[in-house]
Amino acid sequence: MNDPFNAFIHVEKEPLNKGKPGPLSGMPLAHKDMFYRAGKVSNCGSKIRKGWIASETATALERLDAAGALQLGTLNMSEFAYGPTGHNEHWGDCRNPWNPDYITGGSSSGSGAAVAARLVAGALGSDTGGSIRLPAAACGVTGLKTTWGRVSRAGAMPLSHSLDTVGPLAGNAEDCARILQVIAGFDPRDPISSREPVEDYVLRIKDFSRLKIATSTDWITRHAEPEVASAVLAAAKLLGATETEPPDFDTLSAHCITVMSSEASAQHARWMRERPGDYSSAVRVRLEAGYAIPAATYLEALRLRGAWLERFCSRTLADADLYLLPAMVCRVPTREQTGPHGGAGMPQLLAEVTRLTRWVNYLGVPALVLPCGFDANGLPIGLQLVARPFAEATLLRAGHAFQRATDWHRRVPPG
Amino acid sequence: MKSWNPEAVEAMLAAQGIRLAPGRAAKIAAALNAAAVADPLRAALELEADLTGYLLALERCK
Repeated sequence: MNDPFNAFIHVEKEPLNKGKPGPLSGMPLAHKDMFYRAGKVSNCGSKIRKGWIASETATALERLDAAGALQLGTLNMSEFAYGPTGHNEHWGDCRNPWNPDYITGGSSSGSGAAVAARLVAGALGSDTGGSIRLPAAACGVTGLKTTWGRVSRAGAMPLSHSLDTVGPLAGNAEDCARILQVIAGFDPRDPISSREPVEDYVLRIKDFSRLKIATSTDWITRHAEPEVASAVLAAAKLLGATETEPPDFDTLSAHCITVMSSEASAQHARWMRERPGDYSSAVRVRLEAGYAIPAATYLEALRLRGAWLERFCSRTLADADLYLLPAMVCRVPTREQTGPHGGAGMPQLLAEVTRLTRWVNYLGVPALVLPCGFDANGLPIGLQLVARPFAEATLLRAGHAFQRATDWHRRVPPG
Repeated sequence: MKSWNPEAVEAMLAAQGIRLAPGRAAKIAAALNAAAVADPLRAALELEADLTGYLLALERCK
Protein backbone atom coordinates (compact mmCIF):
# COMPACT_ATOMS: atom_id res chain seq x y z
CA MET A 1 0.00 0.00 0.00
CA ASN A 2 1.30 3.44 -0.91
CA ASP A 3 1.08 5.44 2.33
CA PRO A 4 3.15 8.64 2.16
CA PHE A 5 1.23 10.04 5.14
CA ASN A 6 2.43 7.51 7.72
CA ALA A 7 -1.22 6.76 8.41
CA PHE A 8 -0.80 2.99 8.72
CA ILE A 9 1.14 1.22 11.47
CA HIS A 10 0.40 -2.29 10.20
CA VAL A 11 -1.14 -3.53 6.94
CA GLU A 12 -2.60 -7.05 6.86
CA LYS A 13 -1.18 -9.26 4.09
CA GLU A 14 -4.76 -10.20 3.25
CA PRO A 15 -7.69 -8.08 4.50
CA LEU A 16 -9.61 -9.84 7.25
CA ASN A 17 -13.23 -10.86 6.50
CA LYS A 18 -12.77 -11.00 2.72
CA GLY A 19 -15.97 -12.24 1.07
CA LYS A 20 -17.92 -12.28 4.34
CA PRO A 21 -21.58 -11.24 3.92
CA GLY A 22 -23.21 -8.55 6.05
CA PRO A 23 -24.38 -4.95 6.04
CA LEU A 24 -20.79 -3.68 5.68
CA SER A 25 -19.60 -6.48 3.39
CA GLY A 26 -16.56 -5.37 1.39
CA MET A 27 -16.29 -1.96 3.09
CA PRO A 28 -12.53 -1.36 3.57
CA LEU A 29 -11.78 -0.20 7.10
CA ALA A 30 -8.74 0.16 9.35
CA HIS A 31 -8.63 1.33 12.95
CA LYS A 32 -6.67 3.39 15.41
CA ASP A 33 -3.94 1.20 16.91
CA MET A 34 -5.70 0.98 20.29
CA PHE A 35 -8.60 -1.32 19.42
CA TYR A 36 -7.42 -4.71 20.59
CA ARG A 37 -7.66 -7.87 18.49
CA ALA A 38 -6.78 -11.16 20.20
CA GLY A 39 -3.39 -12.41 19.04
CA LYS A 40 -2.52 -9.14 17.26
CA VAL A 41 -0.27 -6.26 18.26
CA SER A 42 -1.71 -2.98 19.63
CA ASN A 43 1.08 -0.46 20.14
CA CYS A 44 -1.22 2.35 21.32
CA GLY A 45 1.11 4.86 19.63
CA SER A 46 3.67 4.28 22.36
CA LYS A 47 7.12 2.92 23.08
CA ILE A 48 5.89 1.31 26.29
CA ARG A 49 3.34 -0.88 24.51
CA LYS A 50 5.42 -1.52 21.39
CA GLY A 51 4.79 -5.09 20.26
CA TRP A 52 2.18 -5.77 22.96
CA ILE A 53 -0.15 -8.57 21.91
CA ALA A 54 -3.79 -8.32 22.94
CA SER A 55 -5.59 -11.27 24.49
CA GLU A 56 -9.10 -10.00 23.76
CA THR A 57 -10.88 -8.40 20.80
CA ALA A 58 -12.63 -5.06 21.14
CA THR A 59 -16.41 -5.34 21.01
CA ALA A 60 -16.53 -2.68 18.28
CA LEU A 61 -14.18 -4.78 16.12
CA GLU A 62 -16.17 -7.95 16.77
CA ARG A 63 -19.32 -6.19 15.62
CA LEU A 64 -17.63 -4.83 12.48
CA ASP A 65 -16.26 -8.31 11.74
CA ALA A 66 -19.74 -9.80 12.09
CA ALA A 67 -21.06 -7.15 9.69
CA GLY A 68 -18.57 -8.25 7.03
CA ALA A 69 -16.36 -5.13 7.02
CA LEU A 70 -12.91 -5.66 5.53
CA GLN A 71 -10.17 -4.98 8.08
CA LEU A 72 -7.04 -3.65 6.38
CA GLY A 73 -4.80 -2.99 9.39
CA THR A 74 -4.00 -0.59 12.21
CA LEU A 75 -3.57 3.18 12.06
CA ASN A 76 -1.20 5.72 13.55
CA MET A 77 -2.29 7.72 16.61
CA SER A 78 -0.95 10.09 19.23
CA GLU A 79 0.92 8.35 22.04
CA PHE A 80 -1.69 6.73 24.32
CA ALA A 81 -4.32 8.94 22.60
CA TYR A 82 -3.04 11.84 24.69
CA GLY A 83 -2.30 14.59 22.17
CA PRO A 84 -4.42 16.78 19.87
CA THR A 85 -2.10 17.23 16.88
CA GLY A 86 -0.96 13.88 15.45
CA HIS A 87 2.69 14.27 16.43
CA ASN A 88 4.30 11.02 17.50
CA GLU A 89 8.00 10.75 18.32
CA HIS A 90 7.92 6.94 18.62
CA TRP A 91 6.12 6.05 15.38
CA GLY A 92 6.61 9.22 13.36
CA ASP A 93 4.21 12.08 12.83
CA CYS A 94 1.15 11.40 10.75
CA ARG A 95 1.01 13.73 7.68
CA ASN A 96 -2.02 15.63 6.48
CA PRO A 97 -2.92 14.48 2.94
CA TRP A 98 -3.89 18.06 2.03
CA ASN A 99 -0.37 19.23 2.84
CA PRO A 100 2.16 17.12 4.77
CA ASP A 101 3.58 20.18 6.56
CA TYR A 102 0.30 20.62 8.45
CA ILE A 103 -1.06 18.63 11.38
CA THR A 104 -3.61 15.87 10.91
CA GLY A 105 -5.12 16.59 14.28
CA GLY A 106 -5.13 13.91 16.96
CA SER A 107 -5.29 11.69 18.59
CA SER A 108 -6.98 9.60 15.84
CA SER A 109 -4.44 10.99 13.37
CA GLY A 110 -4.10 7.93 11.13
CA SER A 111 -7.88 7.52 11.00
CA GLY A 112 -8.31 11.08 9.68
CA ALA A 113 -5.43 10.83 7.20
CA ALA A 114 -6.33 7.36 5.87
CA VAL A 115 -9.94 8.36 5.22
CA ALA A 116 -8.92 11.68 3.63
CA ALA A 117 -6.40 9.94 1.36
CA ARG A 118 -9.07 7.38 0.35
CA LEU A 119 -6.89 4.54 1.66
CA VAL A 120 -9.97 3.29 3.55
CA ALA A 121 -13.69 4.06 3.46
CA GLY A 122 -13.89 4.46 7.21
CA ALA A 123 -12.03 4.03 10.49
CA LEU A 124 -12.71 3.79 14.17
CA GLY A 125 -11.33 6.51 16.42
CA SER A 126 -11.69 7.42 20.06
CA ASP A 127 -12.64 10.84 21.41
CA THR A 128 -11.82 11.93 24.98
CA GLY A 129 -11.24 15.65 24.34
CA GLY A 130 -11.66 15.99 20.56
CA SER A 131 -9.66 13.04 19.20
CA ILE A 132 -12.16 12.10 16.48
CA ARG A 133 -13.35 15.62 15.66
CA LEU A 134 -9.94 17.31 15.38
CA PRO A 135 -8.59 14.84 12.76
CA ALA A 136 -11.93 15.01 10.94
CA ALA A 137 -11.68 18.81 10.84
CA ALA A 138 -7.99 19.01 9.87
CA CYS A 139 -8.23 16.26 7.23
CA GLY A 140 -11.59 17.30 5.77
CA VAL A 141 -13.53 14.12 6.60
CA THR A 142 -16.66 13.38 8.63
CA GLY A 143 -16.21 12.27 12.23
CA LEU A 144 -18.78 11.38 14.87
CA LYS A 145 -18.12 11.69 18.60
CA THR A 146 -20.80 9.52 20.16
CA THR A 147 -22.71 10.00 23.40
CA TRP A 148 -20.78 8.68 26.40
CA GLY A 149 -21.97 5.05 26.68
CA ARG A 150 -23.46 4.75 23.18
CA VAL A 151 -20.61 2.54 21.86
CA SER A 152 -18.82 -0.08 23.96
CA ARG A 153 -15.24 0.70 24.96
CA ALA A 154 -14.51 -2.92 25.88
CA GLY A 155 -11.17 -3.93 24.40
CA ALA A 156 -10.21 -0.35 23.58
CA MET A 157 -7.28 1.31 25.35
CA PRO A 158 -8.58 3.52 28.18
CA LEU A 159 -7.50 7.09 28.73
CA SER A 160 -10.20 8.69 30.89
CA HIS A 161 -13.15 6.46 31.73
CA SER A 162 -15.59 9.31 32.42
CA LEU A 163 -14.93 10.87 29.02
CA ASP A 164 -13.77 8.15 26.60
CA THR A 165 -15.99 7.48 23.59
CA VAL A 166 -15.62 5.40 20.42
CA GLY A 167 -16.91 6.50 17.02
CA PRO A 168 -16.40 6.44 13.25
CA LEU A 169 -14.58 8.66 10.78
CA ALA A 170 -15.63 8.29 7.15
CA GLY A 171 -15.98 10.20 3.90
CA ASN A 172 -19.51 11.32 4.65
CA ALA A 173 -22.31 11.22 7.21
CA GLU A 174 -24.02 8.32 5.47
CA ASP A 175 -21.00 6.03 5.91
CA CYS A 176 -20.68 7.17 9.53
CA ALA A 177 -24.33 6.11 9.99
CA ARG A 178 -23.63 2.68 8.45
CA ILE A 179 -20.70 2.08 10.80
CA LEU A 180 -22.48 3.42 13.88
CA GLN A 181 -25.46 1.18 13.12
CA VAL A 182 -23.21 -1.82 13.61
CA ILE A 183 -21.14 -0.75 16.62
CA ALA A 184 -23.76 1.04 18.79
CA GLY A 185 -25.61 -0.64 21.62
CA PHE A 186 -25.32 -2.19 25.05
CA ASP A 187 -22.41 -4.49 25.78
CA PRO A 188 -22.15 -6.45 29.03
CA ARG A 189 -18.34 -6.20 28.72
CA ASP A 190 -18.56 -2.41 29.18
CA PRO A 191 -20.69 -1.68 32.27
CA ILE A 192 -21.13 2.00 31.36
CA SER A 193 -22.51 1.17 27.90
CA SER A 194 -26.12 2.31 27.65
CA ARG A 195 -29.27 0.21 27.28
CA GLU A 196 -30.86 3.07 25.32
CA PRO A 197 -32.38 1.50 22.16
CA VAL A 198 -30.31 1.91 18.99
CA GLU A 199 -32.13 3.90 16.34
CA ASP A 200 -32.13 3.03 12.65
CA TYR A 201 -29.51 5.61 11.71
CA VAL A 202 -29.29 4.53 8.07
CA LEU A 203 -33.03 5.04 7.64
CA ARG A 204 -33.24 8.19 9.76
CA ILE A 205 -30.67 10.17 7.72
CA LYS A 206 -33.10 10.08 4.81
CA ASP A 207 -35.68 12.02 6.82
CA PHE A 208 -35.46 15.50 5.32
CA SER A 209 -37.96 17.24 7.59
CA ARG A 210 -36.56 20.50 8.87
CA LEU A 211 -34.29 20.49 11.90
CA LYS A 212 -33.94 23.44 14.26
CA ILE A 213 -30.32 24.51 14.43
CA ALA A 214 -28.95 27.26 16.67
CA THR A 215 -25.65 29.09 16.68
CA SER A 216 -23.93 32.04 18.37
CA THR A 217 -22.85 34.32 15.54
CA ASP A 218 -21.42 37.03 17.75
CA TRP A 219 -19.20 34.62 19.68
CA ILE A 220 -17.93 33.00 16.48
CA THR A 221 -17.21 36.36 14.87
CA ARG A 222 -15.29 37.57 17.93
CA HIS A 223 -13.29 34.43 18.66
CA ALA A 224 -12.69 32.49 15.43
CA GLU A 225 -10.19 33.43 12.75
CA PRO A 226 -11.99 35.31 9.94
CA GLU A 227 -11.72 32.52 7.35
CA VAL A 228 -13.06 29.99 9.85
CA ALA A 229 -15.91 32.27 10.95
CA SER A 230 -16.86 33.03 7.36
CA ALA A 231 -17.07 29.35 6.31
CA VAL A 232 -18.92 28.25 9.46
CA LEU A 233 -21.42 31.11 9.34
CA ALA A 234 -22.07 30.39 5.65
CA ALA A 235 -22.94 26.82 6.69
CA ALA A 236 -25.15 28.21 9.48
CA LYS A 237 -27.02 30.30 6.93
CA LEU A 238 -27.46 27.33 4.59
CA LEU A 239 -28.90 25.28 7.47
CA GLY A 240 -31.19 28.13 8.57
CA ALA A 241 -29.62 28.50 12.01
CA THR A 242 -31.15 30.82 14.58
CA GLU A 243 -29.34 32.56 17.45
CA THR A 244 -28.78 31.18 20.94
CA GLU A 245 -26.70 31.74 24.06
CA PRO A 246 -23.26 30.06 23.77
CA PRO A 247 -22.22 27.55 26.43
CA ASP A 248 -19.49 28.61 28.85
CA PHE A 249 -16.82 26.89 26.75
CA ASP A 250 -13.88 27.80 28.94
CA THR A 251 -15.37 26.66 32.25
CA LEU A 252 -16.56 23.39 30.73
CA SER A 253 -13.16 22.83 29.09
CA ALA A 254 -11.39 23.43 32.39
CA HIS A 255 -13.58 20.78 34.03
CA CYS A 256 -12.84 18.42 31.15
CA ILE A 257 -9.11 18.92 31.67
CA THR A 258 -9.48 18.31 35.41
CA VAL A 259 -11.32 15.03 34.85
CA MET A 260 -9.15 13.88 31.94
CA SER A 261 -5.85 14.71 33.67
CA SER A 262 -6.84 13.06 36.95
CA GLU A 263 -8.07 9.87 35.33
CA ALA A 264 -5.29 9.57 32.73
CA SER A 265 -2.60 10.09 35.35
CA ALA A 266 -4.19 7.48 37.63
CA GLN A 267 -4.37 5.07 34.68
CA HIS A 268 -0.66 5.57 33.93
CA ALA A 269 0.60 5.76 37.52
CA ARG A 270 2.55 2.50 37.49
CA TRP A 271 4.48 3.28 34.32
CA MET A 272 5.00 6.90 35.40
CA ARG A 273 6.72 5.59 38.55
CA GLU A 274 8.65 2.77 36.90
CA ARG A 275 9.59 4.04 33.43
CA PRO A 276 8.79 7.74 32.99
CA GLY A 277 11.63 8.09 30.46
CA ASP A 278 9.76 5.89 28.00
CA TYR A 279 7.05 8.51 27.46
CA SER A 280 7.58 11.36 25.04
CA SER A 281 8.26 14.59 26.83
CA ALA A 282 4.90 16.10 25.74
CA VAL A 283 2.87 13.20 27.13
CA ARG A 284 4.97 12.96 30.29
CA VAL A 285 4.32 16.65 31.05
CA ARG A 286 0.58 16.17 30.58
CA LEU A 287 0.57 13.12 32.85
CA GLU A 288 2.68 14.81 35.53
CA ALA A 289 0.15 17.64 35.81
CA GLY A 290 -2.59 15.18 36.71
CA TYR A 291 -0.88 14.14 39.96
CA ALA A 292 -1.17 17.68 41.31
CA ILE A 293 -4.95 17.85 40.99
CA PRO A 294 -6.59 17.38 44.41
CA ALA A 295 -9.14 14.57 44.63
CA ALA A 296 -11.79 17.04 45.85
CA THR A 297 -11.31 19.21 42.75
CA TYR A 298 -11.70 16.17 40.50
CA LEU A 299 -14.82 14.97 42.29
CA GLU A 300 -16.35 18.43 42.35
CA ALA A 301 -15.93 18.66 38.56
CA LEU A 302 -17.83 15.38 38.25
CA ARG A 303 -20.54 16.49 40.73
CA LEU A 304 -21.12 19.61 38.62
CA ARG A 305 -21.41 17.66 35.36
CA GLY A 306 -25.13 16.93 35.52
CA ALA A 307 -26.04 20.54 36.25
CA TRP A 308 -23.98 21.76 33.29
CA LEU A 309 -25.57 19.20 30.97
CA GLU A 310 -29.05 20.32 32.02
CA ARG A 311 -28.08 23.96 31.52
CA PHE A 312 -26.78 23.28 27.99
CA CYS A 313 -29.95 21.45 26.99
CA SER A 314 -32.35 23.93 28.61
CA ARG A 315 -30.59 27.13 27.50
CA THR A 316 -28.36 26.66 24.46
CA LEU A 317 -30.65 24.01 22.95
CA ALA A 318 -33.86 25.52 24.38
CA ASP A 319 -35.49 25.98 20.97
CA ALA A 320 -33.20 23.87 18.85
CA ASP A 321 -32.26 20.29 18.02
CA LEU A 322 -28.60 21.06 17.34
CA TYR A 323 -25.94 23.64 18.22
CA LEU A 324 -23.62 24.76 15.42
CA LEU A 325 -20.06 26.06 15.88
CA PRO A 326 -16.56 25.63 14.41
CA ALA A 327 -14.53 22.54 15.25
CA MET A 328 -11.50 24.79 15.81
CA VAL A 329 -11.37 28.57 16.25
CA CYS A 330 -8.09 28.67 14.29
CA ARG A 331 -7.04 27.45 10.88
CA VAL A 332 -5.18 24.13 10.75
CA PRO A 333 -1.66 24.89 12.07
CA THR A 334 1.60 23.41 10.82
CA ARG A 335 3.42 20.52 12.45
CA GLU A 336 6.33 22.86 13.13
CA GLN A 337 4.15 25.42 14.96
CA THR A 338 2.64 22.78 17.25
CA GLY A 339 5.59 20.39 17.64
CA PRO A 340 8.44 20.12 20.15
CA HIS A 341 10.14 23.17 18.61
CA GLY A 342 6.97 25.25 18.33
CA GLY A 343 8.34 28.01 20.54
CA ALA A 344 6.68 30.34 22.99
CA GLY A 345 3.39 30.58 21.09
CA MET A 346 2.84 26.82 21.01
CA PRO A 347 0.80 26.39 24.24
CA GLN A 348 -1.61 29.14 23.19
CA LEU A 349 -2.00 27.63 19.72
CA LEU A 350 -2.74 24.19 21.19
CA ALA A 351 -5.33 25.80 23.46
CA GLU A 352 -7.01 27.31 20.40
CA VAL A 353 -7.00 23.95 18.60
CA THR A 354 -8.87 22.27 21.47
CA ARG A 355 -10.96 25.18 22.73
CA LEU A 356 -14.23 24.02 21.12
CA THR A 357 -14.01 20.25 21.52
CA ARG A 358 -13.34 19.46 25.19
CA TRP A 359 -16.55 21.02 26.52
CA VAL A 360 -18.52 18.43 24.52
CA ASN A 361 -16.71 15.55 26.26
CA TYR A 362 -17.38 17.05 29.67
CA LEU A 363 -21.11 17.15 28.89
CA GLY A 364 -20.92 13.66 27.32
CA VAL A 365 -23.12 14.66 24.38
CA PRO A 366 -22.65 13.61 20.73
CA ALA A 367 -21.11 15.84 18.06
CA LEU A 368 -20.49 15.58 14.32
CA VAL A 369 -17.65 17.32 12.48
CA LEU A 370 -17.68 17.70 8.70
CA PRO A 371 -15.92 19.94 6.15
CA CYS A 372 -17.51 23.29 5.30
CA GLY A 373 -14.77 25.05 3.34
CA PHE A 374 -11.05 25.48 2.81
CA ASP A 375 -8.66 28.17 4.02
CA ALA A 376 -6.13 30.13 1.98
CA ASN A 377 -3.49 27.46 2.73
CA GLY A 378 -5.70 24.84 1.09
CA LEU A 379 -6.50 23.13 4.41
CA PRO A 380 -10.06 22.13 5.34
CA ILE A 381 -12.28 24.06 7.76
CA GLY A 382 -14.44 21.93 10.06
CA LEU A 383 -18.06 22.55 11.01
CA GLN A 384 -19.23 21.08 14.33
CA LEU A 385 -22.81 20.16 15.26
CA VAL A 386 -23.66 19.20 18.84
CA ALA A 387 -26.83 17.43 20.01
CA ARG A 388 -28.64 16.18 23.10
CA PRO A 389 -27.61 12.81 24.61
CA PHE A 390 -28.29 9.87 22.26
CA ALA A 391 -29.39 12.15 19.39
CA GLU A 392 -26.82 10.72 16.96
CA ALA A 393 -29.57 10.17 14.36
CA THR A 394 -30.41 13.88 14.42
CA LEU A 395 -26.75 14.80 13.93
CA LEU A 396 -26.31 12.39 11.04
CA ARG A 397 -29.53 13.64 9.43
CA ALA A 398 -28.25 17.22 9.53
CA GLY A 399 -24.83 16.17 8.26
CA HIS A 400 -26.36 14.19 5.40
CA ALA A 401 -28.64 17.10 4.45
CA PHE A 402 -25.67 19.49 4.48
CA GLN A 403 -23.63 17.12 2.32
CA ARG A 404 -26.46 16.81 -0.20
CA ALA A 405 -26.42 20.58 -0.55
CA THR A 406 -22.61 21.03 -0.68
CA ASP A 407 -19.60 19.26 -2.16
CA TRP A 408 -16.85 19.99 0.41
CA HIS A 409 -16.77 16.33 1.45
CA ARG A 410 -16.25 15.19 -2.15
CA ARG A 411 -13.02 17.12 -2.64
CA VAL A 412 -9.93 14.95 -2.80
CA PRO A 413 -6.44 15.91 -1.56
CA PRO A 414 -3.85 16.63 -4.26
CA GLY A 415 -1.79 13.78 -5.69
CA MET B 1 -8.13 30.79 46.02
CA LYS B 2 -4.42 30.26 46.74
CA SER B 3 -2.06 29.91 43.78
CA TRP B 4 -0.04 26.79 43.11
CA ASN B 5 3.71 27.11 43.54
CA PRO B 6 6.52 24.81 42.32
CA GLU B 7 7.43 23.60 45.81
CA ALA B 8 3.88 22.47 46.52
CA VAL B 9 3.66 20.68 43.18
CA GLU B 10 7.00 18.95 43.70
CA ALA B 11 6.04 17.78 47.19
CA MET B 12 2.64 16.54 46.04
CA LEU B 13 4.13 14.50 43.22
CA ALA B 14 6.99 13.17 45.32
CA ALA B 15 4.46 11.87 47.83
CA GLN B 16 2.97 9.82 45.00
CA GLY B 17 6.34 8.49 43.81
CA ILE B 18 6.49 10.69 40.68
CA ARG B 19 9.92 12.19 39.93
CA LEU B 20 10.02 15.53 38.13
CA ALA B 21 12.74 16.87 35.85
CA PRO B 22 14.31 20.17 37.02
CA GLY B 23 12.13 23.16 36.16
CA ARG B 24 9.06 21.03 35.45
CA ALA B 25 7.29 21.85 38.73
CA ALA B 26 7.18 25.55 37.86
CA LYS B 27 5.55 24.78 34.50
CA ILE B 28 2.96 22.51 36.11
CA ALA B 29 2.18 25.12 38.77
CA ALA B 30 1.66 27.73 36.06
CA ALA B 31 -0.60 25.39 34.07
CA LEU B 32 -2.69 24.58 37.16
CA ASN B 33 -3.07 28.26 38.00
CA ALA B 34 -4.12 29.02 34.41
CA ALA B 35 -6.67 26.20 34.48
CA ALA B 36 -8.38 27.34 37.70
CA VAL B 37 -11.85 28.67 36.89
CA ALA B 38 -14.58 30.34 38.92
CA ASP B 39 -17.52 28.07 38.14
CA PRO B 40 -20.85 29.93 38.47
CA LEU B 41 -22.73 26.72 39.32
CA ARG B 42 -20.43 25.78 42.18
CA ALA B 43 -22.20 28.00 44.71
CA ALA B 44 -25.53 26.30 44.01
CA LEU B 45 -24.23 22.76 44.31
CA GLU B 46 -26.38 20.91 46.86
CA LEU B 47 -24.89 18.68 49.54
CA GLU B 48 -26.80 15.76 47.99
CA ALA B 49 -25.28 16.24 44.52
CA ASP B 50 -23.04 13.31 43.66
CA LEU B 51 -21.58 11.66 40.58
CA THR B 52 -24.74 9.70 39.82
CA GLY B 53 -26.56 12.99 39.22
CA TYR B 54 -24.91 13.04 35.81
CA LEU B 55 -26.48 9.71 34.83
CA LEU B 56 -29.90 11.03 35.77
CA ALA B 57 -29.25 14.21 33.77
CA LEU B 58 -28.33 12.10 30.72
CA GLU B 59 -31.75 10.45 31.00
CA ARG B 60 -33.63 13.73 31.53
CA CYS B 61 -31.89 15.52 28.65
CA LYS B 62 -32.48 12.90 25.95
